[in-house]
Amino acid sequence: MNTIEMEVDVLVIGGGTAGPMAAVKAKEKNPDLRVLVLEKANVKRSGAISMGMDGLNNAVIPGHATPEQYVKEITVANDGIVNQKTVLAYAQNSFDMIQELDKWGVKFEKDETGDYAVKKVHHIGTYVLPMPEGHNMKKVLYRQLKKRRVEVTNRLVATRLLLDSNGAIAGAMAVDCRTADFYIIRTKTVILATGAAGRLGLPTSGYLFGTYENPTNAGDGYSLAYHAGAELSGIECFQINPLIKDYNGPSCAYVTGPFGGYTANAKGDRFIECDYWSGQMMMEFYRELEGGNGPVFLKMNHLAEETIAQIEEILHSNERPSRGRFHAGRGLNYRDGMVEMHISEIGLCSGHSASGVWVNEKAETTVPGLYAAGDLACVPHNYMLGAFVYGKFAGESAAEYCATHTLPPVDAGQVERERARVWGPLNVTDGLPPSQVEYKLRRMVNDYLQPPKITRKMEIGLQRFAEVGEDLGRLSASNPHELMRAMEVHFIRDCAEMAATASLYRKESRWGLYHYRADFPEKNDEDWFVHVQLKKDDQGEMTCFTRPVDPYVIPLDEEEKTAYQKLRIVKESAIA
Amino acid sequence: MNATMSSVLQDEELLARLNDADPGVRRIAVMDLLDEDDYDQVEPYLINALSDADASVRAQAATALEGFETTEAVETLLHALDDGEMEVGRAAAQSLAELKDPALGALLIPALEGAQGATRAAIFRALRELRVPAALEPALSSLADEDAAVRESAVGVLGYLKAEQAVLSIAGLATGDPEPSVRRIAIGALGFAQDMGQVLPAMVAALRDEHWLVREEAAATLGKLAVPAGVPNLITAMGDDYWQVRLKAARSLGRLRSAEALPALFEALFHEVSNLRKEAAVALGEIGDVRAVPFLEQAMKDPDPDVRKLAGLALSRIAQVTHS
Amino acid sequence: MSYAINRVTVPVSVDEEKCIADKGCTVCVDVCPLDVLAIDLAKGTAYMKFDECWYCMPCEKDCPTGAVNVDIPYLLR
Repeated sequence: MNTIEMEVDVLVIGGGTAGPMAAVKAKEKNPDLRVLVLEKANVKRSGAISMGMDGLNNAVIPGHATPEQYVKEITVANDGIVNQKTVLAYAQNSFDMIQELDKWGVKFEKDETGDYAVKKVHHIGTYVLPMPEGHNMKKVLYRQLKKRRVEVTNRLVATRLLLDSNGAIAGAMAVDCRTADFYIIRTKTVILATGAAGRLGLPTSGYLFGTYENPTNAGDGYSLAYHAGAELSGIECFQINPLIKDYNGPSCAYVTGPFGGYTANAKGDRFIECDYWSGQMMMEFYRELEGGNGPVFLKMNHLAEETIAQIEEILHSNERPSRGRFHAGRGLNYRDGMVEMHISEIGLCSGHSASGVWVNEKAETTVPGLYAAGDLACVPHNYMLGAFVYGKFAGESAAEYCATHTLPPVDAGQVERERARVWGPLNVTDGLPPSQVEYKLRRMVNDYLQPPKITRKMEIGLQRFAEVGEDLGRLSASNPHELMRAMEVHFIRDCAEMAATASLYRKESRWGLYHYRADFPEKNDEDWFVHVQLKKDDQGEMTCFTRPVDPYVIPLDEEEKTAYQKLRIVKESAIA
Repeated sequence: MNATMSSVLQDEELLARLNDADPGVRRIAVMDLLDEDDYDQVEPYLINALSDADASVRAQAATALEGFETTEAVETLLHALDDGEMEVGRAAAQSLAELKDPALGALLIPALEGAQGATRAAIFRALRELRVPAALEPALSSLADEDAAVRESAVGVLGYLKAEQAVLSIAGLATGDPEPSVRRIAIGALGFAQDMGQVLPAMVAALRDEHWLVREEAAATLGKLAVPAGVPNLITAMGDDYWQVRLKAARSLGRLRSAEALPALFEALFHEVSNLRKEAAVALGEIGDVRAVPFLEQAMKDPDPDVRKLAGLALSRIAQVTHS
Repeated sequence: MSYAINRVTVPVSVDEEKCIADKGCTVCVDVCPLDVLAIDLAKGTAYMKFDECWYCMPCEKDCPTGAVNVDIPYLLR
């Protein structure tokens, strides 16, 4: 096991969606910069879009939607708690990004004159741009990285960031999951693009890796940002999604919706007006699932043959292509049966909800030299296109920072402590296997944090997570691969503690099921119309505080504000 | 880095594998070339691999050349279109179809000379996205090609070029081609036209095409063209046997804001297919005529919640229009 | 502390006849996001080393000879 030192200007951690874009944009801004993408898997097939994507569901294209409309919808969908400037910055750059990706070779659906074919899913505007051939995403990104001469290291797990004496970024440390070599990377800037905390809750199947999110995304970046002293926001706004039961992948009502598919109860009746994923929608979903008309299904068996064939073609070749194999195994055909659905384990992900590292409209975090983009950066409902746009912001901002800053010195003490921590499990011969600790930890997350959230349960959860924290020193790893899993247990435990702490702090209910507190069941705008921030304080303790919601740049009228409160279908009329 | 350095790969191990006696080893080596850092260095080796004795190596090289937007790469791929082995030609066609640099279009046009069938179609497919004006003439003169794949890809080029001078020819193809897939693309390709005198007769004829996909495309394109003279025909299309056609007709009538269409849309608002009821509700909102109010109010009791939601939105839209 | 060995079925299977790892191919090992595949150097074929599969399928899709098959893990099936 060696220690390897490297030196760059911009270090991008995570080579999935936002990361490659950030690296390319930093290089574009200044080709002389040394830009390195550090990837835990392999950039060719890593991240949430490893198998591509079947469509954009937040495309803001002139003639179909306006940035103002989009900001309004996201403000409403996120119960008002948004920094509108960040959402607006996304919306204003959305179309340019689509055009640039198009030029790079990403395929969006077009009509026979080459114009984009946009469909509708949200309440007011039209945002869905299908990508029936969206499986080439990663190939396109990989080619751009090569063309711009971005350096890439695969199979490295970043474990901690290095800070200078002023608390600004000085570097990062990582471990190779095949050799256990320890890396010290000096850098002026770090861009975090590590995706969601997707291995937080345990799927009901009990299979550790049968998660909704790509399980490689274990919340690494949330933990890295936290220990670097960055502010995180909206952590209590969990990600919970409606999924195909057991398979635990998306049923993609937003893909099937425009074709006429919808979410139904056991009687085949619709019970929600809109299948767009939001906390309120999830609340109705949860009630129906647990109620007398449950469980919940995706219904397509009323559709015409050619429509179903088209849906199959899209759903079985993109994003989660093993869907078709799962249905075949159970003998289910969309034509004659409904697909049983369930709700996912909890996770943290701003791409779908709002929990992430706090960033402004330039992708800057509260730590100088540290930027964040994609699922882990707090820009609500940002999805894939938002990851690209904030990746671009982060790359450009980091390049600017490099122009006016020199490479800070590295503190030997930080390095020594981290190397000892990282290599620790290799020296424990008679310790705990990471998989067992992870299973127990994530089962506790389900037991104590899965909404409805209950104060006393979350307090007990915190106590259990602290006990697991005591166990971390006894983790043992028999090979570098297991060492990676051991380090991931650290990340997951940090995320669990953050999820409980932030949830306990916000003493009201908001975002439907995402933050439904059984003992504070009402929304309380008077006291809680604020962001809840979380960070590590000067004593090294986890602390929460509030941040006011900035005055809206796009005001909402009363009718617009309630759009997502009226999702449940009135029973008398739901007789379809 | 000096010129000699940058033109030759330094990876000895990979170079040895590229020259291995086993074609399987050579093929994997070609794939691995894409992991090298300097793509300028890599390109000559990929081009070289396209003359490998083994077809699987050539096909791999043709696939790997996707995105290499240089004269040499494009010319090599063009040559590979006529490779005796099908898999090589197909891979080359796929890589060519990904070209993004319009400047390379100049290389493709001369290659059309003498090219027939699949090769010719592949070149047109590559030209479509590039939108090179010089492709206009060859595409126009290929509309009568005996190979349907050639006609299909040639008319695709014309649609993307949005070439007004091609409208008459496209319209001719849209009504006269024996292949429904060609007629459908041709009708869609007319979506840019300015001169309705030439387009309308073709659209009207296409709305009566024997193939529903052509009728559906015509119904959608009339809405995109926003030509009021098409309204009576769209109203007729509201009675099509296929709900997909009716759906697009309703959508287009909404985009056209046609009050004439109200009775047909009222009827569609209570059709048995809920997709159609939804589209009719949206269209009535877009038209914004108060006469639709009682019908939409009745649609508020529709069993399908999407219909109710959209009827509600349509009603508030009509209220807005009447107040302002 | 002592350890027990538990047997599990794994979702990824490799057709040893088709696999060309012996010719230098490591595609499936490279593309796996969870790094669960490895090459058996003695046999010259790929195999699933760790039961940590997301059934995401790049290994199967990117295999140049169609040697890899991804099944849904038994617990989910």
